[in-house]
Amino acid sequence: MSADPFLNRPIGRRSVLRGGLGALAASAFAGPLLTACGGDSSGGGDGKEMSFWNFYGPADDNGPQSKWFVSLAEQWNANNDVKVELRYIPGKEYLGGNVLQTAFQAGQGPDIFLISPGDFLRYYNGGVLQDLSAQLSDQTKADYLPGMLEARSVDGKIYGLPMEIEPLAMYYSEAAFEKAGLSEADLPKTWDQTLAVAQKLTGKNKYGVMFETAPGYYQNFTWYPFLWQGDGAVIKDGKVAFDTPAAVQALKFWQDTIQSKVAPRKALGGGGGDVLANLGAGAAAMQQSGIWAVSDMRAKGQKTKYGIIPHPTPEGGKQATDLGGWAFVANAKGKNPEAAAKFIAWALGSTDAEGVERGRQWNTVVKTNVPPRKSVQQAADSQGAFAEGVLKKFVSEIAPTGQPEPRFPPEVYQPIADAIQACQLNATDPGKAAADAAEKIDTFLKTYQGAPIS
Amino acid sequence: MATTTAPRSKPLVKAGTPGEKQKRSLTRKQREAVAAYAFLAPDVIGLLVFVALPMVLAFAVALFKVDGFGNYQYVGLANYKLMGSDDQLLASLKVTGTYVITYVPIAFVVSLALAMLVRNKFKGIGWVRSAFFLPNVVSLVVVGLLWQFLLVDKRGAISSLLAPFGLEDVSFLGTPSLALGTYVVISVWFIMGYQMLVFLAGLKDVPKELEDAAHIDGAGSWQRFRYVIWPLLRPTSFFVVVNSTIGAVTGLQAFDLVYVLTAGGPARSTSTVVLYIYEQAFTFNNIGYATALTTVVVALLVICTGLMFALTRGGRFDEE
Amino acid sequence: MRSRFVLPVLAHVLALIAVAPLLWVLVSVFKPAEEVFASGWPSTWTLDNLRYVLLKVPLPRFMLNSALVSVVVTIIALFFHSMAAYALARLRFPGRGIIFSAIMSTLLVSLPVILVPLFLVAKQLGLLDSYAGLIVPSIFHAFGIFLLRQYYLSIPRELEEAADLDGCGYWRRYWSVILPLSRPVLASLSVLFFLANWNAFLWPLTITRNPDLRMIQQGIAGMQGQYSSAWNLILAAAVIAAIPTVVVFVAGQKRLVDAMKTTGLK
Repeated sequence: MSADPFLNRPIGRRSVLRGGLGALAASAFAGPLLTACGGDSSGGGDGKEMSFWNFYGPADDNGPQSKWFVSLAEQWNANNDVKVELRYIPGKEYLGGNVLQTAFQAGQGPDIFLISPGDFLRYYNGGVLQDLSAQLSDQTKADYLPGMLEARSVDGKIYGLPMEIEPLAMYYSEAAFEKAGLSEADLPKTWDQTLAVAQKLTGKNKYGVMFETAPGYYQNFTWYPFLWQGDGAVIKDGKVAFDTPAAVQALKFWQDTIQSKVAPRKALGGGGGDVLANLGAGAAAMQQSGIWAVSDMRAKGQKTKYGIIPHPTPEGGKQATDLGGWAFVANAKGKNPEAAAKFIAWALGSTDAEGVERGRQWNTVVKTNVPPRKSVQQAADSQGAFAEGVLKKFVSEIAPTGQPEPRFPPEVYQPIADAIQACQLNATDPGKAAADAAEKIDTFLKTYQGAPIS
Repeated sequence: MATTTAPRSKPLVKAGTPGEKQKRSLTRKQREAVAAYAFLAPDVIGLLVFVALPMVLAFAVALFKVDGFGNYQYVGLANYKLMGSDDQLLASLKVTGTYVITYVPIAFVVSLALAMLVRNKFKGIGWVRSAFFLPNVVSLVVVGLLWQFLLVDKRGAISSLLAPFGLEDVSFLGTPSLALGTYVVISVWFIMGYQMLVFLAGLKDVPKELEDAAHIDGAGSWQRFRYVIWPLLRPTSFFVVVNSTIGAVTGLQAFDLVYVLTAGGPARSTSTVVLYIYEQAFTFNNIGYATALTTVVVALLVICTGLMFALTRGGRFDEE
Repeated sequence: MRSRFVLPVLAHVLALIAVAPLLWVLVSVFKPAEEVFASGWPSTWTLDNLRYVLLKVPLPRFMLNSALVSVVVTIIALFFHSMAAYALARLRFPGRGIIFSAIMSTLLVSLPVILVPLFLVAKQLGLLDSYAGLIVPSIFHAFGIFLLRQYYLSIPRELEEAADLDGCGYWRRYWSVILPLSRPVLASLSVLFFLANWNAFLWPLTITRNPDLRMIQQGIAGMQGQYSSAWNLILAAAVIAAIPTVVVFVAGQKRLVDAMKTTGLK
């Protein structure tokens, strides 16, 4: 197919094509030639190898997060017959690409993989998530913070084990504030203040504030807090509730940052989640991002002095943040779903000292998160992980205002994403965008039959 | 396609039954035919399996709702009905349409102008021609990465270049109204060298004497171009227009380049039809809907080509 | 004549503008990481970026995959296409017209159009995530058949008839008369085919997920995911990916132009 020199097709001579059209038409009406297409991937095997797709390791740079994954697999493989084989997929491809989707489409999905709450229902409704409940002890279940397992459960069965909690906040660069003659007293508390302060911070080669601009689950995830601040929701009591002032004002806030030219239309590096490439590089003075950026900055951005503040709110709005976090899940149609479930329970759910330490390492040493398990949190606290600075603020001030990242199927996620994109980047009227999205979601909900949306 | 299988398979069966006697009893004519089918077999089978079959299959799969996990459910024409209310599809059609009507003429004029510019020999002509062609040699992925880098907001080379004009804050790839235009310009930059060569080949066929005669008659360079070269260049021009139109709608530049450069953004302003089909299939996992869209594009392609031939009186574009 | 000087100068200036983006990037690759956005020459020329992507990123592996696939596709495709073209140009058989038309009509269908159903076919044939999957579907393309047929039509029949008198079969005629005669056109086509396959992105992207099977274009596109902020590295990888194409272009320039001239224009 690709033997297509210069990407353009030469057009044959007239007689050639006229005859060709007939043949083309003939092929079109030759009738369906569909053979057995469905029903691949026979489930419930007892394979001796399980592939584990993730976006951490083994990475080229062999950083601490990569090492954590590699040693996790090594430890498991040393004691078990069914081996885990890691496959690394770069984050941007994993999140925004199609690797996972194409694999499942082809019936060659991984045995173990990572999913965010936003993607949960797609896989659950597709019937590929393995029930992990049987492998989890009551002790493990009780160890998880309230709501953590529920967000990955349907009908009381647990389908994913979270490895972390990732709240969002607003990062700010101390240097940028100083340079603009601003002090901590100028840190914005409201949306209006944000726009005003950002105006002062915007200048040559830098923007005052930054939100994610690339469409995707991540952008939706970062936008929901602004919706919630005005008491908005996407779905309430099983019905669409998106066409509300709360949604409109949140859409408008993001639009205002772009229209007043204080926020970039295109982020640098990995986008909104990448504090290092934006705030760290001096390209943004304030940037909305997640707790993971603390470890990024610790590793590679030590020169940058920064702080965090809660998301600014609309006048009279309430504090809100989104609690993200990825979970390990097992493919129910994989080569060995039983063993995959066992691996996950062992990797993230072990309550012995080793298991707790593994969780502590992941959540506070190689990466920074709020630990999803009480025992891990205690272990981290005893080492003073959250005793001061930015992390203390994240745990004590920001996380408590959060709610778990909603799990929407693609048909709900997509209209919201379109609305955000259209308002933020294309100056679409927020009222119209919200109404359009609400209508589409409504149409979808009327025929939806999958697991409860929350 | 199906029609080609019948005549081919028959003689093959004959050829497959060995036996010296039988072989000798074949006439020369028959032997020639058997040899021809054998020579054709690898490519014809390949084209049947990897080009014709997918097209036929598309019409069949289009009748199913296929989720991302290989589950098929017959839904009749539901996928086609869905298209009516799909405004993203409409937006993509608009993008592809706008792209075609801007890119094709601009690329045409630019490459024809370049061809005229480098038509006659001068010092360093080899390097000049190569320079225009060079962008076409590197891959579209490299082209996409390269321009993304040059167009980085505020810091990229283009921003620095435009700073004296007060345009350093323009976001070419982040503003919906500019992104498509940027994509067009980059596409033209990529393709102009190739089309220039095609025009050069066409220009070779313009008899020097005719031009000289016109020159002697006092025709200026524009007049010579308009009344001597342009009419003789019609077949080449037709070829270039058809070729670049098809390339713009369904070629790799409608996928590779946007995929890397903008991923269809910002706010879907560069989401071409082929990129949209790809997204439907592999990002949103709607294989059934994606194949239904495929069949529509195939049908449109057939209609357009038919139309083009009807308009040019059966492709008689090179005759008055 | 004023234009004698003006036009060539204009041509040189425009040519410079046309390659400027490429040159800019080429120079940027030798800049230290923190200077990548700075205009002008590097403060110090460094090979760090190139070294990094060659040693720390599996770029050599991607290039090897691409080289393997491109070479194999080119050889097999040229072989098959020349056989088919020979039959279409030289042999008489029932259905020749319709077969030729049918083959030509596939030229209308480009990869992006049939991508999704082709993916389903490849899946059924068990070609996903394999070298065979990268190679086999890339072989079949009417373009080469068409070009070779044009060429064979121009070879004098007498040459072949001489072989006929010697009592050669069709295979021997093709093998020992036609094939040697087609060396120049095969050389031109091999340049085109190699470039097209080396630059292929969409099909490898669709059919492979195993990182070991990544071809170079996919590899450098993926760099963006991994080294999103490190433009110095992404550009270094892009430049390395482009080098073979530029080399092949420069070496095969004449052939390329020849091939272009026969591109169905006549």
